[in-house]
Amino acid sequence: MIVVEGLAKRFAPTARTLRDALARRPVQPGVSAVEQISFTAADGGIMGLLGPNGAGKTTTLRMLAGLILPDAGRMVVDGIDVMRHPREALARMGVLSDARGLYPRLTARENIVYYGALQGLGRDLAEARADVLADMLAFKPLLDRRTEGFSQGERMKIALARALVHDPVNIVLDEPTNGLDVPATRSLRESLRFLRTAEGGGKCIVVSTHIMQEVQRLCDHVVVVSHGRSVAAGTVAELLAQTRQSDFEEAFVQLAFPPAHEVFS
Amino acid sequence: MSAPRAAWAVFRKEIVDALRDRRTLMVVLFSSVLMGPLLLVALSVLLASFEASAEGRVVYVDGAEHAPALVNFLQRQTRLVKAPPVDYEAQLRARKWSDPVLVVPKGFDAAVQRGESPSIEVVSDSGNAQAQAGAARVQGLLAAYSQERATLTLALRGVATELLEPFAVQERDLASARSRAAQITGMLPFFVIMAVLYGALNAALDTTAGERERGSLEPLLMNPARRSAIVLGKWGAVASVAVLIATLSCFSFIPAQWLLRSDTLQAMFQYGWREALAFLALLLPFAAAMSALLMAIAIRCKSFKEAQASSTVVLAAVSLLPLVSVFDQRGESPWHLWVPALAQSTLMARVLKGESLGAADLAAQLMVCAGLTVLALAWVARRLNNAAVR
Repeated sequence: MIVVEGLAKRFAPTARTLRDALARRPVQPGVSAVEQISFTAADGGIMGLLGPNGAGKTTTLRMLAGLILPDAGRMVVDGIDVMRHPREALARMGVLSDARGLYPRLTARENIVYYGALQGLGRDLAEARADVLADMLAFKPLLDRRTEGFSQGERMKIALARALVHDPVNIVLDEPTNGLDVPATRSLRESLRFLRTAEGGGKCIVVSTHIMQEVQRLCDHVVVVSHGRSVAAGTVAELLAQTRQSDFEEAFVQLAFPPAHEVFS
Repeated sequence: MSAPRAAWAVFRKEIVDALRDRRTLMVVLFSSVLMGPLLLVALSVLLASFEASAEGRVVYVDGAEHAPALVNFLQRQTRLVKAPPVDYEAQLRARKWSDPVLVVPKGFDAAVQRGESPSIEVVSDSGNAQAQAGAARVQGLLAAYSQERATLTLALRGVATELLEPFAVQERDLASARSRAAQITGMLPFFVIMAVLYGALNAALDTTAGERERGSLEPLLMNPARRSAIVLGKWGAVASVAVLIATLSCFSFIPAQWLLRSDTLQAMFQYGWREALAFLALLLPFAAAMSALLMAIAIRCKSFKEAQASSTVVLAAVSLLPLVSVFDQRGESPWHLWVPALAQSTLMARVLKGESLGAADLAAQLMVCAGLTVLALAWVARRLNNAAVR
């Protein structure tokens, strides 16, 4: 279970260079990436973090992975405070970040086993997990090939397998379907649905995305994020009811980009 | 997970990764490991040809018929007198002819007899190093001939020969055979130092800026491993590759000396296992420090290319610092041993001269290298998070 409460992050302005000063450029203000984001993702469920580009989804997930320290707020993974014990929290999470670079001179298996070793798995166990994940994500033929020259979809599968090598209870995926074709997207969706079930381990899954259909087809619970704030939460049906819309896209636009008077009221 | 296990996992992966980069390794091997020995062998060929012409028993004389007495003198010095080719001037300029030519004017002998002090020409080309070396030898012969003529003439008039040479000059060379050879072998330290640097360069850049460019640094840091363990594992791998290249470079001079063409150089250049091991012992801390330094520079850079540009500063500094000992006319100063690269080259030069290394000399460079390594690695560990997300 992942609980995020009142998360906020403001990036300091980039250092003013001498050239800026000489050109009398105004001091750049900092960027407020995340202002107030809260959500709770339950075990055995898939939560969607839905928001437009630049809403603060990636920054939120980076904070959850302990890469960036938040200015305010609290993040708890299975009862572990991320800020106080980041490594213990990371051991319980599998994070597929925005950056998903592989090592081109290593085989897919070596890429996965390396992360297994970093998670503290023994070599045999990590090898076995690589086989299981290759079956689940359907990339068995690629397993012993070097990842140089893999297609985007193939890379994505290896990166996902790498993040899941230690069979984490909590799975956090940042835009996982980016660059995937329809069959790959469908098979990923199948895998995630399986991981949610009791046989799959009843995982707690958080998926960030900006694609409506993704959320509609996959998520049990949706949190709409806009301008660094979580503005609405509920099932797809609940959000439709709340906005009195029949089309989810319309509902999303209404929630994420409210008319001006509502913002200032 | 425990820090040593994480560091070991990172180390193993980085070593495999670096060793699979065959093309880069080959380039490093050819450019920095083989270059030193090849140059040494080439130098020995040049030296051998100098020696051959220095021992040359042939003197080329144009117009030998005008100076039978001189020819007689040369023959008494067991020299063979030969006529040069007709176009020797053009050939000298084109460096096709490697001997000086003695040009005797008409009626030389008769003029000498009459005491007219005629001129005689030694034709050489100062752009032609080999001919120039021979010219000194011919001039020596001519001076001896002139001395003989003067001595004979005055002796006939009853002047004691001791008066003609009021004192004798004897040279005493303090240099041992090895320190004389060090003038030529002095370039060896430069080659092994650069080999270490080029060995470390690629791996250091690949594990930092390269990892950042590929987008694999951010996922790497999402593992529950300590930053310090990750940095230590990476540094260990980079330093190991550098040491591997250093070892190859140090030992490559052992087979190289079998190929030396110059007998004197071969006799003087004593480079065996003892010297190779001493070199390696000096290079180990240096390789460790340079690996850490290059990583610290590269972690700031967003791409491999940018990191390459930034690291040229280190490359230039390391290749120029040993020159301080060449330009510093006061000789070796104590501070030389506190400067990385300069300290190593100074101490390696001592090894080549057959001098012993003091513990204090070794301690200075060891301390500097250790300090540099710790500082650079701490900096890399601190920058790691920032580098991953930006």
